[in-house]
Amino acid sequence: MNATNTQEVTNNVQYMKPVGKGSLWRKVYKNRALYLFISPFYILFLIFGLFPIFFSLYLSFHKWSGLGKMEFVGLKQFTYLLTDTTFWQSVGNTFAIWFLSTIPMLFGALVIAFLLNTPLLKFKGFYRTAFFVTNVTSIVAVTIIFKSIFGNHFGLLNYVFTMIGLNPVEWLNSGILIKVVIASMVIWRWTGYNAIIYLAGLQSIPNTLYEAAKIDGANLVQMFFHITIPLLRPIILFTVLMTTIGSMQLFTEPQVLLGNSGGVGGAGVTITMYMYKQAFVDNQYGYASAVSWVLFGIIALFSLLNWKIVQKTGAK
Amino acid sequence: MLRKEFSFLLVLSFVFLMVGCSSTSQSSSGGKDSDGKVTVTLWYWNRSLDDNLLAKAKEQFPNINLVAQKIDGNSYETKVDAALAAGGSGAPDIVGMNGAARYIPHADQFVNLLDLGASDIKNQYLDWKWNYAVTPDNKKLIALPIDIGPTALFYREDIFKKAGLPTDPAEVSAQLTTWEDYIEAGEKVKAATGVKMFDSINRVFTQYLGQSDSVYFDKSEKFIGDGGNVKKAWDIAWKVNEKGLSANLVDGTEWNASMNNGEIASFIGAVWMKKVLEDAAPDTAGKWRIARAPGGDGNHGGSFLGIPKSSKHPKEAYKVISWLMNPKNQLQSYKTMDLFPSTPSVYSDPIMSSKEEFFGNQNTTEIFSQAAKNVKPLYFGANYDTVNSLFSDQLTNVANQNLDSEKAWNDVQKQVEKKLSR
Repeated sequence: MNATNTQEVTNNVQYMKPVGKGSLWRKVYKNRALYLFISPFYILFLIFGLFPIFFSLYLSFHKWSGLGKMEFVGLKQFTYLLTDTTFWQSVGNTFAIWFLSTIPMLFGALVIAFLLNTPLLKFKGFYRTAFFVTNVTSIVAVTIIFKSIFGNHFGLLNYVFTMIGLNPVEWLNSGILIKVVIASMVIWRWTGYNAIIYLAGLQSIPNTLYEAAKIDGANLVQMFFHITIPLLRPIILFTVLMTTIGSMQLFTEPQVLLGNSGGVGGAGVTITMYMYKQAFVDNQYGYASAVSWVLFGIIALFSLLNWKIVQKTGAK
Repeated sequence: MLRKEFSFLLVLSFVFLMVGCSSTSQSSSGGKDSDGKVTVTLWYWNRSLDDNLLAKAKEQFPNINLVAQKIDGNSYETKVDAALAAGGSGAPDIVGMNGAARYIPHADQFVNLLDLGASDIKNQYLDWKWNYAVTPDNKKLIALPIDIGPTALFYREDIFKKAGLPTDPAEVSAQLTTWEDYIEAGEKVKAATGVKMFDSINRVFTQYLGQSDSVYFDKSEKFIGDGGNVKKAWDIAWKVNEKGLSANLVDGTEWNASMNNGEIASFIGAVWMKKVLEDAAPDTAGKWRIARAPGGDGNHGGSFLGIPKSSKHPKEAYKVISWLMNPKNQLQSYKTMDLFPSTPSVYSDPIMSSKEEFFGNQNTTEIFSQAAKNVKPLYFGANYDTVNSLFSDQLTNVANQNLDSEKAWNDVQKQVEKKLSR
């Protein structure tokens, strides 16, 4: 008995540094109460997070209508996807909307943040809240309002156009204008959010730099481009990354605005919307899973690209 | 000390968890509940069944504990599919279906109602509606009919008058017997008033098919939408577009505004469009009339009640659905919920008829009940929705872009072929 005890002790000492399997479990056991406390999250995550992820991977190799038996089809869903023009159109749409929304949005956010940060401004708290409020409104409600603003025949905007003598524009009957309308919703919703993030970044820039610039006779625009933007670069890259991920997953705005068909010629179908349609309208769950994995690939690729850029600028 | 309190809380939360689990498993456990009743669960979505009727069903069957669960309409089908796929305790004993077509190939997942004596009540229901839920081999019935959506022509009496067209419903039907007549009348309306006869060519296409006896698939699930009625419907829709007779509207606020502003002279719609129109166009009250539709009577919409195979109490479930859907109760549901009965025996009941102010005191039930008896039998096919959405998307393109007729048709055929090959 004594002998085995000492054996264990020496074993423990031996494996203490590189955490071996046995001792890891022993540590878990030792802190079992704590692990129990955090377990609800992990249990829920396993059931509703991790399991569906792997199940969708499994599904993407099958053909399944949601009813009846699953049929193994190997890579057929993926090869079908490669030749599916509607899918590639949805990728194109998504990137077009991303491009149309990101640049004006982030630039606008930066300008708003810069103005909010000027020491002379009064009612700062009010403005901060006001700009952020757009982000916490219901997307569906906002979309319905945008739908009435951009209505083809009875839209508010067309009413204004005819009032000032311009010809009404059929916003939702043109491939490009549909994208503009969707992008405008994204811009409306997220500009304030990004402005608040930029504001936090701006507040970390020491005031002495601006004071020095002022003494040197720089104006507001020069200060913005030569002090604010360079020092904000890491934060800008962060917002670009977040915006990109968000844009790739754009769904509610086009879906509520245009319905499942995605408008004229499918001009407003985003990747996520296409995936949704495959699964819940056409009941092709296997194919929808394949689309979701390709979407994951696209986002991962984009994020990687962005990460590389961050690294590069960091090294500078 | 602290630890003890923590573990007490932990145990407490586990107890709650267990209670939560057991209460759901109780309802599905076989045999009878502790109170000697049999629990039968029913899933439906808002406005698909009459809530008052469901409450009455609980009194009607004292030995059955009917649990009716109203499920959000947007996720309804997904939830039903998931429950059926999972089988067992997750699925309800009775399930509402918005159309039986997509469940027909999965008839083995449902109790064959013919085994429970449904053939005895067959003659209560409209044949064509009944047959929507029958498998192609005629051996299985997967669901009982709830309501139907007979279609008719909704038209603006005043605009028809201005255009020199007949205004009395019977005369309108007599003059506009075919789609060609309808289009011709549309040209008259346009010339005389500038108003568009049609709201969208998608509706023209859909309603033409709703009047047909075959659409995209034959009973062996072979695609026949490359010709036949689909091509005819397509050509009619094309013609309407070419002549500029459609206002090119999408359902929703634009449609509502156009209707209210009197920019549309007519449309063919199901009986449930009455309510939609009344809500959309209050300013046009009294100006609308309803007549038997050009091209024939059709159907658009209407739902079913089935019993999943996993039900442990199919007999009780059948008792409930056959009672819910008996003619007397359907009549009641029409009165309270506008669910048009699938049981023709009640059409002559005075409760069905009333003078409707919105339609110039016309008794529109007369028109719809005649239409209901006259709908042609139709086999939809399991992929009806998928194929139909391709055609309807393409028609939206036709309406909004300058497409070549032949190319547009060939494109949609290719898309269908590709989709069905998957």
